[in-house]
Amino acid sequence: MRTHAVLLAAALAASVGVLTGAAQAPAYSPPRTPDGHPDLQGIWQVLNTAAWDLEDHGATLGVPAGRGVVEGGTIPYQPAALARKQENARNRATLDPERRCGLPGVPRITYMPYPFRIVQQRDKISFLYEYLGVVRFAYMNGNPHPRGPIEWFMGDSRASWDGNTLVVDVVHFTDQTWLDRAGNFHSEALHVVERYTRTGPDHMLYQATIEDPKVFTRPWTISMPLYRRQERDAELLEYECLSYLLEDTWDRPEAFPFK
Amino acid sequence: MSHRLLMWLAAAAAVLGLTMATLEPLAAQARWDPKTPKLPMARTWVAYKAKLPPYTPPRTPDGVPDLQGTWGGPGGAGGDDIEEHEYVDVTTPPQETFVSDPPDGLIPYTAYGLAQRNAHRAGLSRGWPGESPDRLYADPNTYCMVSIGPRGGIGEIIQQPGVVIMVTARTHRVIPTDGRSHLSDRAKFWRGIPRGRWDGNTLVVDVRGLNGKHWFDSVGNFHTENTRMIERLTLVDANTIDYALTVEDPTVYSRPWTMNYPVRRAGTGGTDNATGKYNWRAAPVVDNDPYAREVWENNCTEGISVNVRNMHSLGFKWFRGVTPPRQ
Repeated sequence: MRTHAVLLAAALAASVGVLTGAAQAPAYSPPRTPDGHPDLQGIWQVLNTAAWDLEDHGATLGVPAGRGVVEGGTIPYQPAALARKQENARNRATLDPERRCGLPGVPRITYMPYPFRIVQQRDKISFLYEYLGVVRFAYMNGNPHPRGPIEWFMGDSRASWDGNTLVVDVVHFTDQTWLDRAGNFHSEALHVVERYTRTGPDHMLYQATIEDPKVFTRPWTISMPLYRRQERDAELLEYECLSYLLEDTWDRPEAFPFK
Repeated sequence: MSHRLLMWLAAAAAVLGLTMATLEPLAAQARWDPKTPKLPMARTWVAYKAKLPPYTPPRTPDGVPDLQGTWGGPGGAGGDDIEEHEYVDVTTPPQETFVSDPPDGLIPYTAYGLAQRNAHRAGLSRGWPGESPDRLYADPNTYCMVSIGPRGGIGEIIQQPGVVIMVTARTHRVIPTDGRSHLSDRAKFWRGIPRGRWDGNTLVVDVRGLNGKHWFDSVGNFHTENTRMIERLTLVDANTIDYALTVEDPTVYSRPWTMNYPVRRAGTGGTDNATGKYNWRAAPVVDNDPYAREVWENNCTEGISVNVRNMHSLGFKWFRGVTPPRQ
């Protein structure tokens, strides 16, 4: 466990170094909330293909090609886990939990093609997702993660500030969610550290370091920009996935997924 | 699973109080005693609030009434049956109607609307007298669908300039108060599209674009995709929101009608189900558990595959909404 914590810290430090080095962006001084923290509030969304595959991929029917978001390019699977990932990929049409409209987990929900809203209060950051109307509270009230074992689809999120970066530490997951539609997966031992850093008036850098000693050989990091929705009347609408799925398949036994 | 369930129950009970818990499917498994007194709703509330002294709510920095905090639901048996009824069975205790207008407490259905409601009720297959032999629809709440009104709850209200945000463990509503327009009638949603404005001390929310696929309660009272709803939220004392929901739809109702009930600040009491009276506390109860004020994951859809499978295999149809004949 301690080894993994050290590795995680190293991976985080490396990713920050790589990104600041690559972007050459001058430090942006974000606006502040009344209690003095960077103001991350608003409606954000990714503009990439990570929802389909976190790694580099070509196009197939309905899948846009894309450059991967994994730093270093490849997810460091243990051998048995890589075999399972490939099995998942082959059977994704039936195995992907998204097909049954479950809560998609973290970080997957961040890079699905739906907007989300960040709301800041003194003692917590709330992430309100259009997808399934999911609510995720990242508490910053001094409480540590509650004692487990707990298995939550969206995990337990605890937030803190590292300079201008919001750091969200997430544990207590299930093994019932995937990381994308390409079969990338994790176990209930997943530990995610998210970093949200404003890089401009309408942009934010999102990084997530993913640690799971049952599945990966070391922690690894994804990074991508988040974009502020620019429409004057931008708002979260509704994606009640399960209701659409049930309505669509209720009278079609061959397609009904809850047999 | 059982651990998670316990955690969630503990969190729900601690944070939201029992009134909120009645909205949730887990607590809806509560078994009601036949001796339960008639639980108060619109009639008791209308009489109670008529005697309240005038109240001036606090204001947010941008000058509108401050409704912020965590709020419960309607109390009692929630939305089991929003019309007045006596004890039905262990799931449905006696309760006053939610309907404050018309004064008789009945939903003013047209003949067509009433026939639809009665068909829904007769097809529930709950072992009640007068049922039809065939199963028709299961209550949409069986599948964790989101709604507003008696079954929606409010949760925590967070106000920012131009917006009122309501957050429960299950979901969120973001109500713009910046004067933006509605979407076109083509766009339909389970909870419609809300547009808020401040009228004196009252938050008025105009809801359009409803998909008409939800029920107000578990016994088939319904609206359609032609329905417009107006919610009115007014602080009448430091810990009570007077919640009124007006429903307009000439295709199934003969006139607009209104539900009205109090919503209490979390931890300040509610309806005492043993006496059938309000049992309100002046100040929130302080729980020393450091996690007591946290809201933890309520993954309603997680265990839903069992409900879905059961209802599907029993032959219940999927409720696609009522389409009234063109007039």
